[in-house]
Amino acid sequence: MGTKLQTASLLKNRTRRYFLQECWSGLGTLALTGLMNENLFASSINPMASKKPHYPAKAKSVIFLGMSGGPSQLELFDYKPKLIEMHGRPIPKSVVGEQRYAFIKPEAPLRGTERVFRRHGQSRLEISECLPHISSIADEICLIRSMETNVFNHAPAQLFLYTGSERPGRPSMGGWITYGLGAEAEGLPGYVVLHSTSRAWNPGIQAGASCWSSGFLPTTHQGVVLRNIGDPILYLSNPQGVNSSMQQDAIVAINQMNQHRYNVMGDPEIQTRVASFETAYRMQMEAPEICDITREPQNILDMYGCKPGEMSFANNCLLARRLVENGVRFINVFHKGWDHHGQSPTNELITSNLDQACLDVDQASAALVKDLKQRGMLDDTLVIWGGEFGRTPMGQAQDPDDPSIFRGRDHHPNAYSIWMAGGGIKAGQTVGQTDELGFHVIEDKVHVHDLQATILHLLGLDHKKLTFRFQGRDFRLTDVEGVVVEKLLA
Amino acid sequence: MILLGSLTSINGQPLLESNQNKTPTTSTLENLRFFETDIRPILNTNCLPCHNQKNQTSGLSLESRASVLRGGNRGPAVSPGKPEHSRLLQAISHINDLKMPPAGKLSSIKIGLIARWIMLGAPWPEVPNKAVAARPHVDHWSFQPIKSYTPPKVGHADWIRNPIDNFILDRLEKEGLSPSRAADKVTLFRRLKLDLQGLPPTPSEIDSFLADKRDDAYERAIDRLLESPHYGERWGRHWLDVARYADTNGFGFDRPRVIWRYRDWVIQALNSDKPFDQFVIEQLAGDLLPNSTLDQKIATGFHRNTMINEEGGVDQEQYRVEAIFDRVNTTGTAFLGLTIGCAQCHNHKYDPISQREYYRLFAFFNTQDEMVINTVRPSEVKGFQKLSSDFTLEKLRLETEIAKRESKLINLIPEWEAKLTKEQKKKVPRNIQEILKIPTGQRTLTLTEDLEAFFKEEQDPAYLKRTRDLELHASTPKKGNPNQFTAMVLKEREKPRKTHIFNGGAFLKPGVEVSPGIPSILPALKVKDGANLNRLDLARWLVGKKNPLTSRVTVNRIWQQYFGRALVTTPENFGIQGEKPSHPELLDWLSNEFIRKGWSLKELHRLITGSATYRQSSHVSSEIWDRDPQNILLSRSPRYRVEGEVVRDIALSVSGLIHHQIGGPSTFPPQPPGITDLSRGNLIWVTASGNNRYRRGMYTFWKRTSPYPPLITFDSPTADKTNIRRDRTNTPLQSLVTLNDDLFVEAAKSLALRVLRNESISKNGRLEYAFRLCVARKPNEFEKKELTKFLKKEHQRFLENPKQAMKLLPGDFPQEIEPWRFAAWFSVSRVLLNLDETITRE
Repeated sequence: MGTKLQTASLLKNRTRRYFLQECWSGLGTLALTGLMNENLFASSINPMASKKPHYPAKAKSVIFLGMSGGPSQLELFDYKPKLIEMHGRPIPKSVVGEQRYAFIKPEAPLRGTERVFRRHGQSRLEISECLPHISSIADEICLIRSMETNVFNHAPAQLFLYTGSERPGRPSMGGWITYGLGAEAEGLPGYVVLHSTSRAWNPGIQAGASCWSSGFLPTTHQGVVLRNIGDPILYLSNPQGVNSSMQQDAIVAINQMNQHRYNVMGDPEIQTRVASFETAYRMQMEAPEICDITREPQNILDMYGCKPGEMSFANNCLLARRLVENGVRFINVFHKGWDHHGQSPTNELITSNLDQACLDVDQASAALVKDLKQRGMLDDTLVIWGGEFGRTPMGQAQDPDDPSIFRGRDHHPNAYSIWMAGGGIKAGQTVGQTDELGFHVIEDKVHVHDLQATILHLLGLDHKKLTFRFQGRDFRLTDVEGVVVEKLLA
Repeated sequence: MILLGSLTSINGQPLLESNQNKTPTTSTLENLRFFETDIRPILNTNCLPCHNQKNQTSGLSLESRASVLRGGNRGPAVSPGKPEHSRLLQAISHINDLKMPPAGKLSSIKIGLIARWIMLGAPWPEVPNKAVAARPHVDHWSFQPIKSYTPPKVGHADWIRNPIDNFILDRLEKEGLSPSRAADKVTLFRRLKLDLQGLPPTPSEIDSFLADKRDDAYERAIDRLLESPHYGERWGRHWLDVARYADTNGFGFDRPRVIWRYRDWVIQALNSDKPFDQFVIEQLAGDLLPNSTLDQKIATGFHRNTMINEEGGVDQEQYRVEAIFDRVNTTGTAFLGLTIGCAQCHNHKYDPISQREYYRLFAFFNTQDEMVINTVRPSEVKGFQKLSSDFTLEKLRLETEIAKRESKLINLIPEWEAKLTKEQKKKVPRNIQEILKIPTGQRTLTLTEDLEAFFKEEQDPAYLKRTRDLELHASTPKKGNPNQFTAMVLKEREKPRKTHIFNGGAFLKPGVEVSPGIPSILPALKVKDGANLNRLDLARWLVGKKNPLTSRVTVNRIWQQYFGRALVTTPENFGIQGEKPSHPELLDWLSNEFIRKGWSLKELHRLITGSATYRQSSHVSSEIWDRDPQNILLSRSPRYRVEGEVVRDIALSVSGLIHHQIGGPSTFPPQPPGITDLSRGNLIWVTASGNNRYRRGMYTFWKRTSPYPPLITFDSPTADKTNIRRDRTNTPLQSLVTLNDDLFVEAAKSLALRVLRNESISKNGRLEYAFRLCVARKPNEFEKKELTKFLKKEHQRFLENPKQAMKLLPGDFPQEIEPWRFAAWFSVSRVLLNLDETITRE
């Protein structure tokens, strides 16, 4: 590994020198940017150039730990003794109203949890036994028990959470943020997406690439998936048989010809192309090293529970930290495996499969917060942990052999829990409350649009001013709604 | 005046120019309307909260013209006709200490409007005039009938080739600009070839074009290019953006669908130059035409390109309604250029479209069923029958094997269980561990089934392989699946559904019932003696004589494909919030001409490509750039990067890899592993073998939730909704694609071999040949010198390091070529394929 490292740093030095001393095209670009009307061309040269926020920001970057499938707040964060008491009895019609569900009937029997809840830390936050590590950072997080969303199917609800609309086609939160702020990362994309799963099959979240789409924003604001197999970024490594020196010489030759063409044609877009080849090369040089978590010391790997080489949430959390260190603005860390209906006999049980999902994410989630804190990065890094919706107080998939057992719960949009940490969040508090069955929010409702408005606010962006005109309308992440939730702010 | 000078080109509209010739006549109806539509809302929102009659902050009220002229503590707020002396403008432009409004600077467009209003003499109706205020949308330009204009007389009549040029040159002359000289023949031919076919010209095509000395050589070239089936592919792809064509259902499950017959119908329709009015009628209502043909039914696939949500537990009605919303909105955007979708939840905020009118349009699309029909053609019957029986036989074989394996497996469980070590037990999922703890005889039926399912699926590779084989075999997009011969269509119901307004746009809140109908702002569609109107009536109305929009919208969109920028730069929005046309008279002239020539698209292409405007060079001097950076006035040809599909097609063409087959099921070119796994939908990306790897980009299977990376990186639309205007970005990720993607590497190797094996090219001519393949023109002295230097350096590299060269050799590498020579040419080919010019239409 020593030699590998040396080679890499040699190459890097060589690149730097190339950029600083030899690369007339790089200088050309700089000079040109200076000469031209900034407003018209700054964006065409580098749409990711850092931009000033609307007002001073608390957070510089965001790590969104997206728990796809809908983690059960009733097993993890929202303790309801009354629900245990009423286990097996139908939910009162007065509570349900006109609510509709994906799979169960509204009059389905209630399910009390078998999980034990305890209070933790100075702040006495109440969290279940399923998440011992997250419990250990109780004083660092703000638990929101009063989340509400509009939709109860996975794909639309994920789209709603990540793009503000339940239909595909809108820009995602990460895209809006890089559109508003640019990104400091130079050898990396400004907006990155990571995946892992607790299930045997594909890790992709239901709504797929629509969740990190740039929508109608320029495609530059599309999330770039860092991959678990092959190159971390698509097409990052040189083709087979092409070594670094060949690659570098080719790029120099390409840009030399492009520069010449610019002199002939006078089209500034050619300069954009020159710059994009330079950045591409820089990504090739720098990204693999940043993405390589084996460069971390053993104690850090152990802290997260990383096993380098596997596709795991732990690896992704550590990688997310490294990305933030290198100036990435927004990271979606998706983990799939929270859809505990209990319908399938070998999966989706709210008992053992929920345990598995907790085991997969608990330690690393907590380690991420601790690690950011010990590096002094937590203050300006916002961490969010949560899914697209919660799960019903009613049980689902009654065990045919024992009618008192429900193997799962259905999707529940009316009330669920998430937590946030760092980046200007008031830690060590619980915000919001649900009714005694956990069905409705009864205090401090935080609608998904409010959450989005608050995230933008922490980054110094006014969700009402961050707009983009498309097909005759000024669009924004929060549509026509959203209120910054003051209670969450430090 | 410096400030105002910088405002003159906002919206592509000179703000002041049109008024310089007029004396400010403050209170013409037009000016008063301008105040009511554009100025009053700005004042109301931004100024009046403080500066009203009651509060008079700083002594200033902006509630009437008199109080504005009187001003506040600092003096008059406005000097009519003199924006530069008006405090109001100074304050909102932030040029002095006083910076208004306190909440933040207004957009430059709004500031420009205020400047223009002052310039006009600050018109302001004595009393708020309802008739004035309520009428602007009625008088909006795009709702007016298409006017007939005579091409204007111009100074340099010798430049004119057809009437398009009169309109363009007239404007240029008024602005004191002159057109660029014509592009050289080679550039022009490459431009034509890319525009009309989306393919680069070969050197021999160029040579024969150059050799054609007839007067009409250029027009003949256009005709030739339009006659080729590649024309239908190229312009079909543009239309497929509008049609939001994709090969999967979208949303969470995003399963494959079979709808390529619709794509082929589009190609075919364009190649046969089906008149655009007929083209529209068949797509919207082909099923309703008397004795409709199979093709006319397939055409209704246009509105089957909507997404389908197949996620478990979804409300079918909700997503049926969602699809209709999309059909209404797409119809509005694609043909009328109106953001009708805004009226789904409430009356349109800007355009005169009420929510009720939205649901009257909705009613047209609420009365059909979504069908899948068989589309086997007579010529295909024999092949289809064989395919069908082979398919069924193979399926049966696999199913039998799985059943056999299953019965064997269950007997193996006790043995497997007995042999399990403690370590192995720990590795199975927890619920299975729990089951294993219970002795065999005492397990319930459910638990036994759980265990069997686990054992079958996760413990027996042979079982798993067979089930995967079956899945793969049954996979819809797989070649050889008889389901490939189907199409998704619309079919009118015998008993139509009733349509209600959905309050707030929510399908669970039906309001009053409505019947099909057209927004009242547009020419009426008459009801035939009591019968309900249907889609066919709507379609005919869309392309009817009185509708002022469809022709304008279509001509505008096509103009955009050529000039990178449409005459109305919001081609999806001709409403009040849309931009005004840069050349309104030209737009109307073209729209009339399009209809007059029988809605022939090929005639329209001939007209545009035949103009002197089109033939200009795309060189740009810094002087011209300063005057008109966005090229609104068209004093030059635009220069832009080609679309993602064409980036691919160029690499495949110049390397000789391309396989031209028009149409057929979508293809699966190689892509990096793991792409499709990041979304659901049971799609197995079976990488194409043989020729299908090298088909044109437009045939690539389009999976909405995990699209083919090289295309999506180059701004191909996701097809979630209609797309009238593609983005055109230039990013580092694109450079990574063309540098490192296998296809581009393969193309570079193939190009190297093509150059080295071409015996008609002398050794010294190779560089020029390769260069011409990529960019059509010959290299200049600088390019020749530098590329030769590079080639020599690469020769040296591989002579010194032959092993490196060996790493590059393709499988079937010809004996007669030295590996080092090939490797050096590979390097040169890579450079050429990655040139900005190679993927640019100049």
